[in-house]
Amino acid sequence: MSVEFTLNGRSASLRSPADSPLLWALRDEKNLVGVKFGCGAGLCGACTVIVDGEQTRACQTSVGDVAGKSVTTIEGLSGDIAKVVTEAWIRAQAPQCGYCQPGFVMAATSVISADPNQTTEQALAQITNLCRCGTYDAIRLAVGHALDTLRGRADISSTGAGR
Amino acid sequence: MSEGGSSIGRIARRSFLLGAGVVGGGLLVGAGMVAWRLGAIDGYALPAGEGETSFGAWLRLARDGRVEVAAPHQDMGQGIYALAAMLAAEGLKLPLESVRVVPAPVEARYANPVMLLDGLPFDEASEGPLKQAIVWTFDKILRVVGMQGTGGSTSTRNMSEQIRRAAACMHDMLARAASAKFKVPVDQLKNVGGAFLTPDGRTATYAELATDAGRLKPSDVAPPPLRAGVYVGKGAPRFDVPLKTRGEAKYGIDTRQPGQLYAAIRHSPRLGGKLGRASVPTNIAGLRGIVEGGDYVAVVGESYAAAVAGLEKADVVWDDSTALGVSTGDVFAAYRAALDKGAEFKPRWVIDSAGDVARATGKEIRATYDAPFLAHATMEPMNATAYVTETEARIWAGHQSASLVQLMAAKAARLPSEKVEVFTPFVGGGFGRRADVGYIVKAVEIAAKFKGTPVQTIWSRGEDIRDDVYRPAAMADISARVDGEGLPSSFIYRIAVPSVTDQFVARVLPGARGGMMADRSTVDGALFPFYGLPTRSIENFTVDLGIPVGFWRSVGYSLNCFFVECFVDELAAAASIKPLDYRARLLARAGASEPARRAARVLERMAAFDKANPPVPAKGGARSGRGFALTASFHSFVGEIADVEIGNGEINVRRVHAIVDCGFAIDPPNVVAQVRSGVNFGLTAALHGRVDFDNGKVLQANFDSYPLLSLESAPAISVEIVESGAALGGVGEIGTPAIAPAVANAVFAATGRRLRSLPLTPGIA
Repeated sequence: MSVEFTLNGRSASLRSPADSPLLWALRDEKNLVGVKFGCGAGLCGACTVIVDGEQTRACQTSVGDVAGKSVTTIEGLSGDIAKVVTEAWIRAQAPQCGYCQPGFVMAATSVISADPNQTTEQALAQITNLCRCGTYDAIRLAVGHALDTLRGRADISSTGAGR
Repeated sequence: MSEGGSSIGRIARRSFLLGAGVVGGGLLVGAGMVAWRLGAIDGYALPAGEGETSFGAWLRLARDGRVEVAAPHQDMGQGIYALAAMLAAEGLKLPLESVRVVPAPVEARYANPVMLLDGLPFDEASEGPLKQAIVWTFDKILRVVGMQGTGGSTSTRNMSEQIRRAAACMHDMLARAASAKFKVPVDQLKNVGGAFLTPDGRTATYAELATDAGRLKPSDVAPPPLRAGVYVGKGAPRFDVPLKTRGEAKYGIDTRQPGQLYAAIRHSPRLGGKLGRASVPTNIAGLRGIVEGGDYVAVVGESYAAAVAGLEKADVVWDDSTALGVSTGDVFAAYRAALDKGAEFKPRWVIDSAGDVARATGKEIRATYDAPFLAHATMEPMNATAYVTETEARIWAGHQSASLVQLMAAKAARLPSEKVEVFTPFVGGGFGRRADVGYIVKAVEIAAKFKGTPVQTIWSRGEDIRDDVYRPAAMADISARVDGEGLPSSFIYRIAVPSVTDQFVARVLPGARGGMMADRSTVDGALFPFYGLPTRSIENFTVDLGIPVGFWRSVGYSLNCFFVECFVDELAAAASIKPLDYRARLLARAGASEPARRAARVLERMAAFDKANPPVPAKGGARSGRGFALTASFHSFVGEIADVEIGNGEINVRRVHAIVDCGFAIDPPNVVAQVRSGVNFGLTAALHGRVDFDNGKVLQANFDSYPLLSLESAPAISVEIVESGAALGGVGEIGTPAIAPAVANAVFAATGRRLRSLPLTPGIA
């Protein structure tokens, strides 16, 4: 019995048991290792993927839960908003050890996609991922940059590491 | 030599990271051998394949024309790979994208003597021929022993000058090769970024010159002084940032080898306990076996999910005959009892002293501070992938010392060290945790049961916290007598704490005898390089109840800077002097030593910030306050200012400003990033961090019981860099020590309540 769904825009199936965590199925069966294991309890967000537009903790989602749904991982992130978010992240030089960052980028992309006109504060309030390196200043900057860019306001020629 | 004042001024008796066994091994090599091996080390060159040209240990011209620079340190997020690339690009006058970083081979040439020399029994600020002679000797020995390592905020200090010198040397060789090719004197060649141009318009690229240049005898060319250039002093976008942002960066846990199996591991619930016996049902799909370890059981499967499912169904009996029965309360009771015994207690080490504290007079002010055990909780949980055969082993894992991984893995696999190959991907956080490589030893033990098949062992978050080597809990009794102005005329500092160094050495070299020397690492931050208290006694009471302890970002500074800088605030309050003014008076009395001067400069900037920026106003009903702390750690000076508000029984840190003197900032944006990181790391500890024990069981297991600062609760942090022109200082840990005292002092400013226990709990609504 395999589970059929859409993975990064293509139809896919998973052989992993329907009650096993989506996180490990994506990592081990599909080799999508950009989906990180951090806590296994839905607390840190390192494993965040987007399921039908919603930021979703892959460690708290069963393989069976995504049957017929569309799952996007960091490897399959595409589209204008994702591009703007990723570029803002790089411009802010956000990652340090970097392990949590794909999860943050996924969460931010999902939240911003839902409403590109929201304020930075509104967007940040919906991102509950954790970063042990404490890159929060840079992440706030990146989310702000991304929203500004989407509103066509930012001076995107400037660079900086969030000083 | 366990007590008594220091008769030779600023020399303090401290232990150092090297265990006696390692030093002994180095000494056994013999003087002649040392000289011979040093020659070999200095002549070491990066291996070069077909079409590549090696220019010594640090630089190589690759087939694609790019220059490769060897990084002997692991990038754990501190940006050391980017720094290596910047220094090489600057020295070779190349655009950054023409330089690529490669991990250095595991070779003695890449030893990190700085990390170990920092632990020698001298104060950071001391100088003189005795220190110079000992440091020189140890430096040579350590280069032969050859321990590579990343820690103690030493990477930049260890490798910068070596890379700069290598780049100057390679540039000289390329220029001489161009000169010979064109028959034009070197001084008439113009470097046009990766190529030399003659006055008559002929050019040759580095790649075209490499083969000829590589045959030339290197000259010892001094690099230009370290100052702002194209990249140095300015910074540049880090090459690892896009990879990490797009999820393309590979960590140890992302290792995928053909036929790889996965292991889930569980440790004895009680520290010190052993595995009795364990079995798994044989009818579970995808299961490949069970490994019975000393204090753990591991279930191996074709996927990690299968291994976890197997572990959940495993029948495991633990043997508690050797388990610890210790609880958190026992630890602090033992500390209290030790300190109450005073001078009678053993082992007690007077680590630094001057004058006669017993003869001091004046009003006495005393306080007791304490801090809990802490876990590292790196975002990437412990894991390692090992491939073991009868004749060789390969390891893929994040770590902080390739040499140590090789040594310990070889021992576990019963192979010679040179038969162990270490592959180092990106490291998902270190903070000192990955300096202890027990997780790699276990992964090797597990893979050794599946010879010829790679096995990846992954710790769950609960196991990661359970199997940690914790920042030790500590308790300090501090007392001072003050003169008529309220300045201390005597200062007695007694800290009860286990020896991190003894435990670390014993883990690396079982049988190594601990207790030979005081643990310098646990008193760092209480040694006053800048306040210069003339009459003092700084004492360590070593109390170890068996809980594993290790190096945690900033190590002893994380304890002692909290205790000391809060106590200094208490002295200021007792003298009715403002906190910054009181510190200025202390520094004025300390005189014109370099540490006092650098500290005073940082303090001036703190005062300027304080004056120019009113505290963040409190939201309705909350009380607010501003606190300060001044610290020196890892040869850098840091002042932090915290604005807090207290409401609903919680401390909310609204803003932090940090002033940093790290000598010279090679990569300023990264200095800012690292200091912010250090502040947030320290703030997590100050507000939330505690690991507790109940009858040997670890009570915290995940980010619900061991919470981290969040995007919502992390303050805005601004960082100001003060360039003092002093020798390069460390950066990766220096943000951490000052934040807990700054916040506690801010709580006092807001409420009048002095919080002397971490984590900070305001105890009022």
